[in-house]
Amino acid sequence: MTAALELDGLKKSFGKTEIIRGVDLSIGKGERHAIIGPNGAGKSTLFNLITGRFPQSEGHIRMHGQDLAGKAPFQINRMGLSRSFQITNIFPKMSVFENVRCSLLWSMGYRYNFWSMVGRSRALTEGTDRILDQINLTARRDLPAGVLSYAEQRALEIGITIAGGADVIMLDEPTAGMSHSETDYIVELIRAVTEGKTLIMVEHDMGVVFGLADQISVLVYGEIIATGTPEAVRANPKVQEAYLGEAMEVH
Amino acid sequence: MTDQLTTDPTKPAQRIGAGSLTVPLIPWVLAAALLMVLPFIFTANSAITIMNQMAITIIFALAYNMLLGQGGMLSFGHAVYAGVGGFACVHIMNMDDFFAQIPLPLLPIFGGLMGMGLATIVGAFSTRKAGTVFAMISLGVGELIAACSVIIVAFFGGEEGISGDRTYGMPFFGVEFLQQIEVYYLIAAWLLISAALMYLYSRTPLGRMANAVRDNPERAEFLGYSARWVRFFSFVASGFFAGVAGALFAINYEILTEENLNTTQSGLILLATFLGGVGFFFGPILGAIVFTLVQTVLSLQTELWAFYLGIVFVVTVMFFPGGLAGLLMMHVPAMRLGKLGRLGVPYLKTLGSGAIGCLGAAGLIEMTFHLRHASAGDHSMTLFWITFDSHTILPWIVAIAVTFVGLGIARRTAPALAEAWNEANTPDGAPR
Repeated sequence: MTAALELDGLKKSFGKTEIIRGVDLSIGKGERHAIIGPNGAGKSTLFNLITGRFPQSEGHIRMHGQDLAGKAPFQINRMGLSRSFQITNIFPKMSVFENVRCSLLWSMGYRYNFWSMVGRSRALTEGTDRILDQINLTARRDLPAGVLSYAEQRALEIGITIAGGADVIMLDEPTAGMSHSETDYIVELIRAVTEGKTLIMVEHDMGVVFGLADQISVLVYGEIIATGTPEAVRANPKVQEAYLGEAMEVH
Repeated sequence: MTDQLTTDPTKPAQRIGAGSLTVPLIPWVLAAALLMVLPFIFTANSAITIMNQMAITIIFALAYNMLLGQGGMLSFGHAVYAGVGGFACVHIMNMDDFFAQIPLPLLPIFGGLMGMGLATIVGAFSTRKAGTVFAMISLGVGELIAACSVIIVAFFGGEEGISGDRTYGMPFFGVEFLQQIEVYYLIAAWLLISAALMYLYSRTPLGRMANAVRDNPERAEFLGYSARWVRFFSFVASGFFAGVAGALFAINYEILTEENLNTTQSGLILLATFLGGVGFFFGPILGAIVFTLVQTVLSLQTELWAFYLGIVFVVTVMFFPGGLAGLLMMHVPAMRLGKLGRLGVPYLKTLGSGAIGCLGAAGLIEMTFHLRHASAGDHSMTLFWITFDSHTILPWIVAIAVTFVGLGIARRTAPALAEAWNEANTPDGAPR
């Protein structure tokens, strides 16, 4: 069985600074994989490499066995990978409904269609409403997305991310800046909407990580120092030393 | 499909209707009716000329707004696509044998295809990026093609341009378009068709994604859409309708010159569109109407019309970025609350006196202009239907007084207006 995502000797430099210094990682289908590590370890850069936002300097990224080198974000997305962003990244001026509907268009085969009315498609409207229901934003349906509360915007972003039916979902700090109750809510939401999909996430909140992930990788200074089940990673002395001891104390 | 939806008892039709952007028919029927009867209300030849120009400008402004409002692309050279479409049509008019086989009402299709063809070529490289890069390229291409008009004389006719005769086309159900009124109905029909098509376009998946790319191109890319292709398609569609506008110009005036595609023209359409408001579909329509009126009617009254237009434009950009349409739509919440009427008196007080003050200021400007530029010995000028001697002191005192009193009252009553505005936008019984 090929892995959902495979990183092979991945490197990325900005000028002379090497941010990702050779990452090998294999994430199986249906796995919930969390990437943790101290600030500046390169977690977001790793995300940006995988999703085609930046080109890698060296190494390979393969999704379902296919090399992603040189592919633009929209091409990678069409192959079945979708992501959310660390800083909320939605369409603030469009309604909540439209935000979700736009994220359904490509996967429902509309592509660059300019001969049919979006409002006429019952499948599109119902699909959108189904997602809105899943992320509990039905009541906010016709509001501009920009006026939602922070937690609602994060939920909307998760909705946009999963709407297209991608089977690899990447979430960049989905609970950043949230209160405890909001975090619990989003964790439940993520668990529900990524059922049966491959989930890769960057997260600082250890409660979220240990609650949600079945595999954890620890990224420190652009290298993965440990990968394994939450228990194995927690017990790993290298991880304790580099990162987790300090992070666990805080939480 | 529609029948099924409405007869299915488990799914009420309004559920599909709500937020799903079904096409409202009533405004379109009203618009069609209005276009039909307008020539019977304004029967003068000059009025028909103005309406023709207005309709052409509306199509052009709507096409321009496909870029600016819908797609977030600021173009400084969009007159090029209208102009080239127009030039192509004049050439077709001059191809005797070919033109004799095309009914004139179909000519705009050729203009549109020409504009679209050029937009395809330019868009292939200019839509790679939005923002400043796009704006700069549009300016460069605009200048380049405007410069071509004096270089490629065979197509653009040099400085005097090229002219043709629309009546050589194949008669259309016996109509040869000799009269202005026949041309009016041709243009009106095209206005209706083009506006409807552009409106429908904004409701297609591509049209929705144009908005998405405008708001957040990066997010759109992570939804499977190439921002560049979405921009490109908008650009090409906009080029088509600009070309249609150019073709109608060719039909109406039977002459095209370099002035039809230079950067001044591009600037004017930007101005008209922005004035009307880029945020709503009908904004550019309002803008084009007001702009054409200013350009035709006001320009007969004063040489300084462009100066006033410039002031209005700057004020719009600074204080009302939503344009006229935005100003109108601001009143929707108050209207929903049924409290719009309460704004009437405060508006009259503040805006009425403000308008009088502005007229006073305009009078001062006109008098200064007359003083400086009228030929020596010509002391008499006419302003607001009053003829007086601009070299005497009394008119100046009156104008200054009107200006200060008008603006003063406006300023005094402004807080009351703000109060009334807040009141009108607060539901009854809600805590303030």
